[in-house]
Order: sequence, then structure tokens, then C-alpha cells
Amino acid sequence: MVISHALGARIKRREDPRLITGRAIYVDDLNFAGMVHVAIVRSPHAHATIRSIDTTAARRAPGVVAVWTGEDVKARCGPLPVGPRIKEMKAPKRFPLVIDGVVRHVGDPVAAVVATTMDAARDASDLVEVDYEPLPSVQDPEAALEPGAPILHQDLGTNVCFRMTYGGGNVEEAFAGADVVVKTRIVQQRLIPAAMETRGVVAQYKGGELTVWTSTQIPHVVKTTLAETVRLPEHEIHVIAPEVGGGFGSKLDVYGEEGLVAALALALGRPVKWIESRRENFIATIHGRGQIDYVELAAHHDGTVAGLRVRAIADLGAYSQLLTPGVPTNTGLMCCGCYRIPNAHAEVIGVFTNRTPTDAYRGAGRPEATFLIERAMDLLAAELKMDPVEVRRKNFIPPAAFPYKTPTGAVYDSGNYERALDKALERADYRALRDEQAKLRKQGRYLGIGIATYVEITGLGAVAGLSGGNWESATVRVEPTGKVTVLTGTSPHGQGEETTFAQIVSDRLGVPVEDVVVLHGDTRAVPHGVGTFGSRTTPVGGSAVYVAAEKVKDKAVQIAAHLLEAAPADISTDGARFTVRGSPERSVEFKDVARMAYKAYKLPAGMEPGLDVTHFFVPKERVFPFGTHLCVVEVDPDTGEVTFRRYIAVDDCGNILNPLLVAGQIHGGIVQGLAQAIYEGVTYDDEGQLLTGTFAEYVVPQATDVPAFELDHTVTPSPHNPLGAKGVGEAGTIGATPAVVNAILDALAPFGVKDLQMPITPRRVWEALEGNSASR
Amino acid sequence: MLIKARINDEWREADVWPGASLLFFLRETLGLVGSKNACEQGECGSCSVWLDGELVCSCLVLAAQAHGHEVRTVEALATDDRLHPVQEAFIQTGAVQCGFCTPGLIVAVADLLEHDPRPSETIIREALAGNLCRCTGYAKIIDAVKIAAGRMQK
Amino acid sequence: MHVLLPRTLEEALEMKASAPPAVPIAGGTDLMVELNFDRTRPQAIMEISRLPELNVWRRENGTFSLGAGVPYSRIVRDLTEFRPLVEASRTVGSPQIRNRGTVGGNLGTSSPAGDALPVLAAYDAEVVLAKAGGKIRRLPFAQFMTGPKKNALAPDELILGTRWKVVRGPGSFSKIGTRNAMVIALASLCLVLDEDGRSVRVALGSVGPTILRAPDAESFAARAMETAGVWRDPFGPLPTRVIEEFGERVAAAAKPIDDVRGTAAYRRHACAVLAQRALRWALDDRKLTGAR
Repeated sequence: MVISHALGARIKRREDPRLITGRAIYVDDLNFAGMVHVAIVRSPHAHATIRSIDTTAARRAPGVVAVWTGEDVKARCGPLPVGPRIKEMKAPKRFPLVIDGVVRHVGDPVAAVVATTMDAARDASDLVEVDYEPLPSVQDPEAALEPGAPILHQDLGTNVCFRMTYGGGNVEEAFAGADVVVKTRIVQQRLIPAAMETRGVVAQYKGGELTVWTSTQIPHVVKTTLAETVRLPEHEIHVIAPEVGGGFGSKLDVYGEEGLVAALALALGRPVKWIESRRENFIATIHGRGQIDYVELAAHHDGTVAGLRVRAIADLGAYSQLLTPGVPTNTGLMCCGCYRIPNAHAEVIGVFTNRTPTDAYRGAGRPEATFLIERAMDLLAAELKMDPVEVRRKNFIPPAAFPYKTPTGAVYDSGNYERALDKALERADYRALRDEQAKLRKQGRYLGIGIATYVEITGLGAVAGLSGGNWESATVRVEPTGKVTVLTGTSPHGQGEETTFAQIVSDRLGVPVEDVVVLHGDTRAVPHGVGTFGSRTTPVGGSAVYVAAEKVKDKAVQIAAHLLEAAPADISTDGARFTVRGSPERSVEFKDVARMAYKAYKLPAGMEPGLDVTHFFVPKERVFPFGTHLCVVEVDPDTGEVTFRRYIAVDDCGNILNPLLVAGQIHGGIVQGLAQAIYEGVTYDDEGQLLTGTFAEYVVPQATDVPAFELDHTVTPSPHNPLGAKGVGEAGTIGATPAVVNAILDALAPFGVKDLQMPITPRRVWEALEGNSASR
Repeated sequence: MLIKARINDEWREADVWPGASLLFFLRETLGLVGSKNACEQGECGSCSVWLDGELVCSCLVLAAQAHGHEVRTVEALATDDRLHPVQEAFIQTGAVQCGFCTPGLIVAVADLLEHDPRPSETIIREALAGNLCRCTGYAKIIDAVKIAAGRMQK
Repeated sequence: MHVLLPRTLEEALEMKASAPPAVPIAGGTDLMVELNFDRTRPQAIMEISRLPELNVWRRENGTFSLGAGVPYSRIVRDLTEFRPLVEASRTVGSPQIRNRGTVGGNLGTSSPAGDALPVLAAYDAEVVLAKAGGKIRRLPFAQFMTGPKKNALAPDELILGTRWKVVRGPGSFSKIGTRNAMVIALASLCLVLDEDGRSVRVALGSVGPTILRAPDAESFAARAMETAGVWRDPFGPLPTRVIEEFGERVAAAAKPIDDVRGTAAYRRHACAVLAQRALRWALDDRKLTGAR
């Protein structure tokens, strides 16, 4: 769908020329004269008291410039602030290095070694001698809730970080009066975000200014946080997110290393660089998911859902990071899915464990919500011997019901869930697929058809239940030449907003896309912003650009009217020229209006010079993308191997600004979602050692592991922003996991298999078919 | 130790630690940062280059093994502001997102098409199995390979 | 640390004799990871990837010799007559890894998951070792590889290559892992039929401390094929229960363990499935070729 010549068009990415030639500069590509390198000594224990740290040998090693422990850090650097708190939340503050003498997960930073080369720093870090006294550790979040479990944070006296409840209606009554109740326990395994670029920080203090280059999704938040942490006024700190090689939420945090490297640069007076190794990335960068969900769904014989009860236990890991509590609370908020469920109750408990902290990873609580309700709907369909499609249809929130408030408190903006479902079924030829399935079963072949209908929440922060800080800024500046510069507070790292935001400006002002340059990720160029996460960049950041461009246009029209001696209402424009309606000979070029805005000798009385508008867009309501994913698999009962046959995704993200980029977001999202279903999963041993610590053990999908995708859309614009856009960065991930799991379990229905732990590896399928994994 | 190698048609010479990888030599010593370091164990392909015309992971080649030999990197593909057909195809299909895996993929695709000008989708997927991409789901990369193959035929 | 760059095998063997700790590097797919991860700091590394003597193969009197330095991509391209070896080579890592990795590297590392190793075991291959002064040792594969990452290579020796008696008959290599390509096997299997010797050979990877043969299953299958007359008549039917029992007997030969990639039980089961499939493929191939 093309909204205008620029908006909605399939425009090629303007970011690409530098990226495909190897000329783009990421943090690790920065090198400065005199730069020193940091290696971090990390805890090999999941839980231990540090008796002593001996840095003597490390300090004497060749090339070593400094060795810091927690005490050194404490002298120069305050704790990192804990992110927005939810009520009655108990969470400790953290320093960039452990200073309270207790390490709480394998990978907790203990000391930093600075040397003239990376190799020297790494070699010397082996010489730091840390005397640990191991403490009992707790790995499982449910075990962490038990009385007598090891307590991570003694001063809190409990492993419970928070308890929140969501819900409405009368759940007890609904269950008492229901004909059927289905129950399941879902383990949302931990995932490793594994952006292809690991984290990295370079800091330099020069001329009274601290410049920090960091691989982040939120440079502005990093700046504000660093001001507190390293105790400099905010205007003396300049944070740059250069090219950022993916994030998926893992760079949506202010990490200790950012504070540490900044503090080192201040103390040493030299440029300092830290690049995370891949092995560090697996233990020191946040993990995603990590939730145990107890789900009960009550329904009537005809398939109508009467009530939903959810108890979600979130494995927070050792600390609360920037948005950690916002992830499982999203699950509580969104657990009713696309369905009209009159009575629902969700309890969400955040629990500390001796593992790497968890935080937002692509979807951040919504994949968990969608998964639990979509699995429950399939279980209900099986229980009632109904088609999974029919159970869904029966319970969809109808289009006329929007805006619709769920009992858990979400207010859905707009939607037509059945239309997306129908489109997917039609494309798949669902009836024919069911016939084929029946035929193949007779031949001993097991086809599975999985459906997931999802609705998710975007457009504010990733933090549900928290208020504030969810605006985004944009400046649209028409330069005196008539070219346009856009400054955005979002911080794209692969999503392509240098292209889409230029399209928005082109659409509003009529200037060619090529005449618009979009700057981001630099707090000097863009004074205030929030960042890129939670599928907010287009609906919030894009709307800020839209409104700023509109205001610029209004002003340009006024200037043009003044120059043409006409009323502003009589001016029309095609972007290149402003013309008086009905008098085509009376016109002025866009670039002459731009020049006049700055020359300023002929402006309307009282008008400020310049053609430059900054707008802070504050979304008043959230927006709710939705869709249907349909997956067809074949399962080999001999080996348990799963083969993809088809994958169909019908997504509704409101108006589409650039179909090329939307497809890319959905493709990538689906792969991360299907990866959770069958490939990826973090495994720890009982001592809290990560067993899936490299790409050899942690199975990030390769090109051979994923199917081709068939994409389609419905378009239900959001009423809550001028673009009518809903955000699409996470939809694929949210739809894919339940679609794939439902497909596999549909294939295995003849064997009576009802549940399988993700990732559904061939071994797990085979064990389920054997039915007695323990005895073999 | 002193390493001398012909890099992108130019003899370059520099001193490196004997245990250093070719990737380190390219990036840290010669400043050719187009090849990316993302796993250090040959699992991700972000550091793909040609050594004597063979596609390799430069993190798994000892810099000394390139001594006296020919290395070609992503930086050599575009000439005089003219993009390689593979690069053009990547732009056309939207095969790039964050870009970190992209240089390695461009090299791997160019290598594939040098050996097999008309690869099937199965062959393309197998040929790219050594290049991890976390953003794109591979779909548009595979489209790009097909388009580039078509163009290079002409 | 220093790097030695010998130009000939003789130079390399002399360097090996005079500097015993020198660690040879060819494809680097194992050693470079150890170096990059700071797990090893050998005093000396010896580059052998281009030694001409290691980069050749040769057929003499029904025996095939494969140089230790021939990369997998060349095996895939040029040695198509050895189907199991080609199939194993094809599943070794990615194109980048196949261009560098060698059978010599698999032998040197002696990981039970080394993809080429079950093929060498099923071929009854010998491993050829050399030291300075032209001293050559030939060890049967089973005597060469003694345990996980353990072998009989002496500190002053280099692996020259491997050799085996070429047998007439179908064969295959297959494996099961956690994904489709470039995967470390949970279980791998090579099956070779020797038409002239009327024997069946099976070797298993990733399911024991070393590569395992399944002698009981091998003789069971050979006898069953004799009884059913299948050796003479490739179209003669072999009862399904024989194929199933063959799989069970192969699985019984496995000595798998639980680890992060898979359980012992699944690995054993995978051996049975792989064995049954491999035998069926071999029997089907014989129907196509008329067992010639």
C-alpha cells in the first residue's frame, strides 16, 4: 500500500552503501593514539564471597597501565542507577565492578586490567589472583522461592524482587462455572540475544569533555546515567552510538562497563577501549525470557473462554537491570491475547537467581504472553475436539469492540483479528492442508499445522505499568540550501530509519528523499532522546518527525505566502515550489523560501528567523499490532527431527512506511521466534556454569535451518499517532514461537503428546514418543 | 614476527605477535576493519576473506600462514565507486540490516558465484551456512544471491 | 612463541625432531580457536598447510593414500569415488571450514566427533606417521586413536596421511545433530559393504570415547545377507526384522554419554536409526548397480 509517493514506497536503504563495502565504523573499528585496552576479570563462581584480590603480579606484567578492583571503582565512580522501579520492588544498586565482596553469577566483573595492547591486558588479567569462598547458589527460580534457599542479596532478606497482579472480573466464579479447564506449565527457557556485534566501549576525556562511544540502543540514557555515575555535568558528556551491530534489547541497558571505561578514561587521561569477547557476551550481557508460567484456562462446551489464571515466575538472574521488571509484567498485562476473556488474573513474581541478569530481549514479555495463551487455546481445542481455528474465532475481540480494555488493564487501540486469520488460512489453503495431513498420517507421516494469532503492545517504552520517559524527540531543519536535516532521538541499529524518516519528511514537505539526511545516535547532534526499543521507533520517533515536519511546512507556507503577497490558506505546494492557488505564475521555489528563512529580511512581521522545528512527541495511548502466523512442519518420528514445510505470516502493523524494511523486520523476527521453538536455549549446570557458552553449543540458526517465508498484511491504522503506524520490530518473534510449537504438537497429536519443553530438539521429540525418557 | 603479504593487490608488511590471526593482522595492524570479529572460532563467518583465492575465516588462519601469500578482503570488491554486483543486489533486496555480518556475507556470496554461477536455493543456503546473520532471517540475502547470479550471467 | 615455516616435509620433520614442542598447524580450525581463546600458548607453531608431500593422493595396487593436508573441499570436488568420505567431508562445517580443514587435522585432534574418522575406521584405514630420517610408522586406525583427543602420535612425529585398501561396494556416511548443517554430530555412522569380501562394516562417531566398530552387528548383517541370498542377488529381499535387528545390534555397540548436546539414550537410538537407514540405502544402491 502506498500512502504517498514517498511514504509506503519500497525505497532502498540509504544506510547500505557504507555497510556493504566495509567502510562503516563500529566501536571496535575506532583506534586513537595512546589508546589503552581493558580486560575484565570475571567470576568463575555462581555465588561466592571474595576473600581477597591480589593484583601485584598483574600490575607488574608487561604493558599494564592500571589494575582496578571494586575499591578503586568506588573511589571514582558511583553506582549505576537501577531502572524505573515498580512499586514495592526490592533491588540493590550495582557498581561497575563488584564492591560488596559477593559475586552472584558466573561472569560478574571483579577487576579490570588496563594495558597498552589487548593481548597484554588479557594475559595480565590471568595474573589477578582472586581468593573466593564459594557460597551455595540457586539456579532455579522456583527453588529460589523456597524457604531456606540461598539468598542473593542479604540486605534484602529475600530473593523476591517484586510481585505484581493483573486482572479483573471474577475468576473463581468463572472457573467454578466452567465446563472444561485446561492447565499447563510452560518453561520459557532463557535465550541469548547474541547480536552479531558484541558490546564495546571507547572513552576519551579531552578538552574538558568526556566522549563515550558505545554500542547501545539508548545513547541519551547512557549519557544521563554516566553523568550521575562518573559525576560530571551532563553537558560535559558526549555519547555516540556509532554503527551498532544489532541489539534486540541486549543493548537496551546501561552496563557497568560503560561506567568503568568512562571512569578509567577520566582517571588515566588516555583513550580507553573495551571490547566484549563473544564468550563474555554470553555471560555478561543480559539474557532474555526465563519464565515459568502456570496457566489455567476455563471454558464452556461450545469453546467460549470463561476465565484465565496465570502465575508467572520470572528468573531475573542476579540483579535488576534497566528494564528487568518491565519484561514479565508485560506478560501479565498481555496474557489475554486477542480474546475476549471476561475474567482473568495474572500474578507475576520476579525472583533473583545466581545467573546472568535477564532483561528485554526481542518481544520482552509479549512472546511469553502470546505463547501461553496460544498454547492454552490449542489445548482447549484438543480437549473440546474442535479445530484450533474455530476456538480462536469464537473468542476473538470483534472489530466493533475497539477500543477494548482487557481485564488485565491494556486498552487495545484497533484491530480486526479475524481478517488476518482468514487471510492466512486462505493463503495456506487450510482445508487442503488438513486433508493432506489426514492422508499422510495413514502413510505414517506426520504433518503438523500450527496457528498463532497474536496481539502485542508497542509504541511506548518497553516498560508496562511505568509512566514517564516515553516521548521521543525530532528536529526537522530545512537548511538554507533547501536540503533537510533530521535529528532523531531514536537510535536505529539496523532498522533503517535513515530511510523511513527521510520518507516521512519527503512525504510532508515534498522534497526528494535524497535531499533528507537523518542523524541519530550522537548526543551532541541530538540533545535529547530516548532510543530504539520496543518497536517504538516508527510509531513514536517517526511521529515526532512527522509533527516536526508539519510544523516546518506551516512555517514555510507562511513565509511563501508573505513573499507572494497571498494568504497562507491560498498557498499550495508540491515540495519544489509554493504556488498561489489559481495563479500558477505566482510561485516561489522551496529553496528560496528556505534561504529567506535564514536571510530573514522579508519575513512576516514578528516571525522568528530559521526553518527548524524540534518536537517532542508524547504518545497518549499505546498501540497494538496483531496478526496470524501459520506454520506447517513435518516431524520424523524415527529421529524426532522437524522439517519446515511452509511458513505464512499475516501481520498488521498499521500503515506501512516501507514494505522492504517491514519484510526484513518480520523475517528476522520470525527466525528468532522459531529459534526459541526448536534451536536455542541456555543450559546451565547445577553449579551455575553456562554450558551453552559459544556458537558451537548455542544454536543460532543458519541459512540452512530456516524456511522461506510467505508474508502478507492487513492494514488497520492506529488512531493514536499521525502515521497510523504500530511498530513491527518484534511481531515476527511474538508470532513465530507459538506457531511453530503448535505445529509440532499438532503433528504429534496422534501419539498423545500434549506438551514439549522448548527448544523442541529431536531428542525431546523422540523422548516424548518413547514416553519414558527416564527409564531408557 | 614480520609478516609480508599481498593484500588486495598490494604488498603490505608489518610486525605482529606470532600467535596472531590473519583477522587481527588485517584489522589491528593494517587497519582493514571491513572484516569483522564476532566469534573468534570460525562459527560466524563475519571475518571471511580470500586466501590464495580460497574462502576462509581469517580468524582461523595464523597471520604467519599468509606470509608471502595473496589475501583479498571485502574492501577490494567495489572499485572506482563501482559496486560489485553482489553489493548492488544486497541493496536492491534489502539484505542488510545492522550490517555487522554483511561484509563476510558479501565475500561468501561473491565466492559462491565465482564457483557456481547459477546456484539453486538449497545450494545457496548450504554455501552460506558458515555466515551467521541475526537480523535478516536470511530471506532477502538469498533473494540477493539470486539477483546477483542473474546479473553476473549477463 | 615463534612460528616455523618449513618448505619441505624433510625440513618439517627435522624441525619436529629438534623442537619437540612445535605444534603443527594446517587448517587451524582447532588450534586457532585455542589460541584466540587464550587456552594455549605453545612455544612454537609449525605451518604445514602447504607442504607438497601432504597435499597429494595416490592409488597403488588397490590401495589409496590420502595426504594429511588435503582440505575437505578438494575431497568433495575430486574424490567422488569415495562416497562415504565425500559425504563426511560435505558435513564438515561451512565452506570456509572445508577449504581449510583436513583429514590430518581430524586425526591430530582425535575428537570422537571428527566427521572423517568413522569413515577411516570403516575403511580399515592405516594412519601413516613419519619422523626425521625417513622413519615411517603405519598404525591401524584403531591403534592410532586411543581415546577422546588421545592418539599414538609421538612428539617428534608428523601425520603424513592415511591409506586404505579400496573395496568394491556401496557405502554412506550420515549423522544426526541439533541442526541441519555445520553441526557437531550427536551420532554419526559410516557403513561400507565389501562385495568381494562379503562383509559389512560399520563405524560410529560421537557415541564413545573413540570411534567404535560394531563387529557383532557387522557379522550379523553379513550372515543374514548370505542366508537371504542377497549377496548373489541384489534384488533378493532382506527381511525387515533383519534390518531392525541390525540397527539394534549397532546401537548396542555404542557407548554414549549425556552432555549438553544430547543424552546417551537418544544417541544410542540415533545409532539404530542411522544404521537401519544406511543398510537400506546400501541395499537400494546394489539394486541400481547390480552389485557390481
